[in-house]
Order: sequence, then C-alpha cells, then structure tokens
Amino acid sequence: MPGSTATHELDLIIEKKTGDGGGGELPPTGRNGGGDDGKRPKGGNPTSKRYYTGMALGIVSILMFFMSLAAAFLVLRSSSHWVPVRIPALMWVNTLVLLASSATLELARQRLAQGRLSAYRNLWAVTTVLGVAFLSGQIIAWRQLVGEGIYLANNPASSFFYIFTGAHALHLFGGVAALIFVATRNFSQAQVTRSVAAEVTSYYWHFMDALWLFLLALLYLGK
Amino acid sequence: MVTYDDGANAPQPTGPSFLARCVFSTHHKTIGLQYLWLALASVLVGVVLSTLLRMHSSWPDTAIPFLNGFENTPERYAAVRLLHGSLMVFFVLTAAPQLGFGNYLLPLQIGASEMAFPTLNLVSFWLTVVSLVGMTASFFYVPETGINVWLASAAIFAVGALLSALNFTATTIDLRAEGMTLPRLPITVWAWFLNSILSMLIFSVLLAGCAALLSDRLLGSQFFSVSSFLAAQPQNLVSQGSLPVLWQRLFWYFAQAEVYVAMLPCFGIITHLVSTFSRKPVWKERLVVLALCGVGLIGFCVWGYHMFATGLNPYAPLVFAVLASSLGVPAVFLLASWMGTLWGARLQLTTAMLFSIGFISLFIAGGLSGIFLARHDLSSAAVSEDFVIGHFHLVMGVAATFAILAALFFWFPKMFGCRLSEPLGKVHFWVTFAGVYLIFMPMHWLGLLTQSRLLPDAQRAVLASAGASIRTLVTVATICTVSAQILFVINFAQALMRRKIVKEEDNPWRATTLEWSVASPAPESNFGAAGPIVYRGAYEFPEGIANDFAPQHLAPELLAQKVR
Repeated sequence: MPGSTATHELDLIIEKKTGDGGGGELPPTGRNGGGDDGKRPKGGNPTSKRYYTGMALGIVSILMFFMSLAAAFLVLRSSSHWVPVRIPALMWVNTLVLLASSATLELARQRLAQGRLSAYRNLWAVTTVLGVAFLSGQIIAWRQLVGEGIYLANNPASSFFYIFTGAHALHLFGGVAALIFVATRNFSQAQVTRSVAAEVTSYYWHFMDALWLFLLALLYLGK
Repeated sequence: MVTYDDGANAPQPTGPSFLARCVFSTHHKTIGLQYLWLALASVLVGVVLSTLLRMHSSWPDTAIPFLNGFENTPERYAAVRLLHGSLMVFFVLTAAPQLGFGNYLLPLQIGASEMAFPTLNLVSFWLTVVSLVGMTASFFYVPETGINVWLASAAIFAVGALLSALNFTATTIDLRAEGMTLPRLPITVWAWFLNSILSMLIFSVLLAGCAALLSDRLLGSQFFSVSSFLAAQPQNLVSQGSLPVLWQRLFWYFAQAEVYVAMLPCFGIITHLVSTFSRKPVWKERLVVLALCGVGLIGFCVWGYHMFATGLNPYAPLVFAVLASSLGVPAVFLLASWMGTLWGARLQLTTAMLFSIGFISLFIAGGLSGIFLARHDLSSAAVSEDFVIGHFHLVMGVAATFAILAALFFWFPKMFGCRLSEPLGKVHFWVTFAGVYLIFMPMHWLGLLTQSRLLPDAQRAVLASAGASIRTLVTVATICTVSAQILFVINFAQALMRRKIVKEEDNPWRATTLEWSVASPAPESNFGAAGPIVYRGAYEFPEGIANDFAPQHLAPELLAQKVR
C-alpha cells in the first residue's frame, strides 16, 4: 500500500466506528454473544450457550466414530466369510423401551418449563429407569446370543454386531449417568440452570435414541 | 467450576502448593504451558532417537548403546523408529502448535477469560500425559505386548485430542469478546478453530480404528482378519503386501489429515508473524481463511494416496491423485499471501521472523517433492523410503518445528515476561536452517538413486557407492544439527533465569492483537472483570500514527489522538 493513501486508510478505520450511529460492525448483544446470536437456543443466556455448542460438537464427534465403523461394516459385508447375526427379539422390545424413554424425557422437560417440579422429577426418574431397563435388556440379549454360540470372535459379522451394540450401550450408559447427575445436582449455586442442563442432556439422549435406530437398521438391513 | 489459583506463569513447579497449581489447575495458560513443556521434553528425546537411527543406518556394525542395550533385533530398530515417530507426531507436532500455543493464546486473542470447559481441558491434558507415558512404555515391552500398549495409548490420545478440539471450537464460537466478529479474528485463531473442527472428525476415526484393532488383538474379534479380507478380494489382487488394507484405510484416513492438523496452526502462526514483522496487513486476509478451510477440507479426502500399492479399485488412485494435487491450490494461496505481505514491507528481521521465513522456504522445498508423491504414476517410480522421509521431514517435521520456534520466540515475552536472546537466536536459526537442508535434501537424491533399477549394473555400482557417502554426509549433518540445538537450550534456560531481573515492556513487538493489550506475563484473570472491546481487524498498521500500529482494543477516539 503506497504511503500517500495511508492517512486516508486510517481515516476509514476511525470512521468505521464513529460514523453511522451505533457502530454497525459491533454485534448487537453483549459479552459472549459472538456473531451468531440468531441461532441461540431459546431460554439460554449467553454464558450457557457454550453447553449447547459443546453438546452439538460432541454429537458430531460421536457420529463420526460410528460412521467410520459403519463404513468398515459395509466394506467387509461383501466377504464370503460373512455369517449374519440374527437380531434377538428382545432387542426389538428394547428399542420400544428406548423410544418410550425419549418420550418421557420430553414430557419431563415440558413439566419443567411449566414449573411443575415434582412432575418433572417423576418423569425424569421414569426416563432413567427406562434407560437402565434398556441397558439390562441389551445385556440379556447378549447373553442369549452367547447361549446360541455367537461370540465376538466368531466372524466379522458377529464382531460388528457386538461392537456396535456395545459401543452404543457404553455411550448410553454415559447418558444414564448424565440423567442421574442432573436429577441429583443442586443447581442453586451452579453455573448452569436446571433447564439448560436438562435440555443439553435431552439432546444427547435423543441422539442416542436416533443412533440406536440407525444401528439397528444397519444391522438388520445390512446382514 | 473454575478452581484456579495463583501461579499461572510459573514454568516449573516450585513450592508447597504444587498439586493445586500445576496438577489440578484448570487455567488455560497453565495448561498451555504444560503442553509446551511436554512437547519440549518429547522433542529432546525424539531428536536423540533420530540421531541414533541415522548412526545405525550409516555405521550398522558399530555398537550403539541404546539400540544394543536390549535384544539386538530388527524389531528393536523398528521400535526405536516407532518411538521417534510417536513422540514427534503426537506430542510435538500435534501438541505444541495447537494444544500448547492454542491453549495459552486462543482465549487471550479472542478476549475471553478462560476456555469454554476448563475442567474438560484439564482432563484432556492428563489423558495426553497418560498417552505419552504409555507410548514410551510400549517401547520397553516385547513387541506383542508393546503394540497393545501403543494402541491403547493412541486411543487415549485420540480421546484427549477430541475433548480439546471440542473445547477449542466451543470457545471460539461462544466466548469471543464484544466486537470480535469473525472477520476480525486473528488468522491464528482461525487456524486453531478450523484445525479443531478437523481434529474432531479425524480423531474419532483413529479412535474407532484403535478400538477395533485392540479388540481384534485382545478379544479375538474379526475386524481386520486376514481370511475375510482374502475372501473379499479378486484372486489376482491378493499379494503379500496388501493384507491389512482395512486398517490402512482407517489409519491413513486419520494420518494424512493428521499432517494438516499439525500444519494448519503453523500456517496461522506464520501468517500472523509475517504480517506483524512486515508491519503490514495480511495480504488478502479472507483468501487466507478460505485457503485454510481448503487445506482442511482436501486434507480430509486424500488418505488413499498412501495406498497406491494396496490393490485399490483402479480408478481410486486417479481420484486420490487429483485430490492430492489440488492441495497445491490452497498452498499456493497461502504462499501468495505471505509473499504479498512481504512485498515492499518495512521488514523487521527478528529471530521469530527469520524462523517464519525459514518455514516458508522449507514449505516450498518440501511441498515441491510432494507433487511427485501425489501422482500415482510418478510415485511408484520415485517412492522409496529415503525420498518419502526427506519430503515428509522437510515439509511437516522441520517446517512445523520452525513454526513452533518462531512462535516461541514471538510469544516468549508474553508467557515469561522477557525475550529470548536475539543474537544467540539468530546463530541458532542459521545453523539449524543450513543443517536441515543438508540433512533432508540429500535424502531425496538417495531415494532416487536406489530407485534407478533401469540402469546397467556397472552404473548402479557407482551410484551405490555414491549413496554410501551421501548417507554418511546426512548422518554427520544430523549429529551437527542436533548438537546445535544446545544453543537453543542455553538461550531458553538463560532467558528463564533472566526474567526475574529484567522486566520487559508489555508489547515488545508492537503487535496488534488482544493478548498484547494486557501486561506481560499475562495476568491470571486475562482482562479483569470487564472484558476488552474490539474495534477493528487484527492486522492494521496504518501509517501516520504514532507507533505505526492500531491495536484491536484501542477505542477510535484514543487512536485518533495518536495521529501524528
């Protein structure tokens, strides 16, 4: 940039701010707003926005983990060594349990939004119980498979069956822990409000639910 | 949630409150420095190992203590290489530019007081430490156990990297100061941010790959089983070298992008430094951001070019070759921007700037040989171990190290309150710069020599003897260059001792970004209760104003007063 225009350039820099009333370049809201205020979830204040962002990003990472395994599954499926695993009937029941838990979780959040704390607590507890029921159901289903002589080490299909269901169960176990954490935590002194914690947890839970449906479809259709 | 107490800038643990200050500190500056110390320790061990490897390849009969100490087997030699590579790639190239400097500077540069999730940050740091211990320990086991330990450590590193990446991304999205719009972000922040997004995607794949391989090895599952692979292949494609192809896919999917995970923050650092020491705005700043996005995006798609020799679908190499070659486009954008910034600049050749220019030189030199490797037809002619080692070390290893050193010289006053010695730094730079070219340029020749199968035997014999002398030259150069790093260690130690006596000015480089708006070393709360307000872009050096630079935080009224 030649020197002659430099002062002009400086004027521009200064003018940008002092001109057109109220600094068009500053974002409309305060401290932690950043540039994308329009996308802020309803009910969140600026400091809690990071929890939504963090959860969204976490979901993307987890999705990538399962997708890379799903890609490997689709590649290996074409091998003649492949002996598909029949999905135990109990797993379909478990699926219904998990779907029901998502529904009760949404109801719980509705009650919380209405300020009906005790109803929220009950429904939240029901969700937790349903989550534990799903996990126990999965364990029973695995034991049934083992009883039929289908082990992890049998062939690639059984390996994938166990790693998909196992990794999902592990992630869902984290979800159950989060449910219990939100239920027992004292929010009076915490940085986050109860509704934010409940909402972020519910995102994770619904994601686990959707992920399970995807995995089940993959295992059923891809056998 | 933030349980941070004093001692953010203590480089080494001293005094009774060691646990609270260093082990359980969730403060981003402490954690950033811890990553840098981790990287420093790893790099010192790593270069010693590389010297051992060079010595062994030049003088195979000489007894080398560390190599011969255990059972003297080829596996042992391979284990030294693995340890060298793991330390350098994971704990230096990935840890220092992104996790070390990023943790320290990202919140400061966007005007935040802390990362979005400080406790998570602490967890990821300690996962990284566990992984470092595990990878080092794997060296001392017999290979069968060692591989398991290494895989588990890699998986732990991946979890740590995922958590860090999540933290960085959320921090950049949600914790920017008032007025810090996306176009006003320093390029360094852009690089850390984009790199975190890339890391979140690829480290998941590494984690999945490691988990599956570990379960194969420990539980007998069949993800990478040879029989299922053989059954899936047409008979003519099955050859000895092509068995573990699925693992290769998952691994290279991660590992090729991992190269860009190491390089992206370096691009950011170099762009930042070149602009500051040229006293000029970054030339075509938005194009640079786009180029960084391009590097990330394409880097994500080129894993296949490591697998030209593995019996891919015949059309796949073509696709990967085109994609890999197209990486040149964003790279050329970046180079053009650096040159454009340097053009007609009021250049300040500080040590940090010298290392930045050294980075650009190495990046061009190493990048050019990359073109050969990206083409499947050329690479099958040119790829031999030495050529790849030369290319890879020039463009990734050494170039990234130069960026780390540039960043260290530049931000040392911010971290410790005093500068590293400039004269000593310049001597260190020139010796290292000459040294790395002497090491890695001849390696390219070595690679081409060993590949010359078409020549008659007599000529090959001549070439082979030339190869031996080149090999010796490389080894001697390695020993000299590695020894020259003592200059850096002395400089570093001296500066740390001096900082108690000398008080540096707060903004010695007259830089514009927010971290220089506070005292050096940065105070614990970063900006105090009221955060900074940002009024302009990150690289504004208007003439006709006292001190020739317009800091981001300076209110327009105050800036107007400084007009001469």
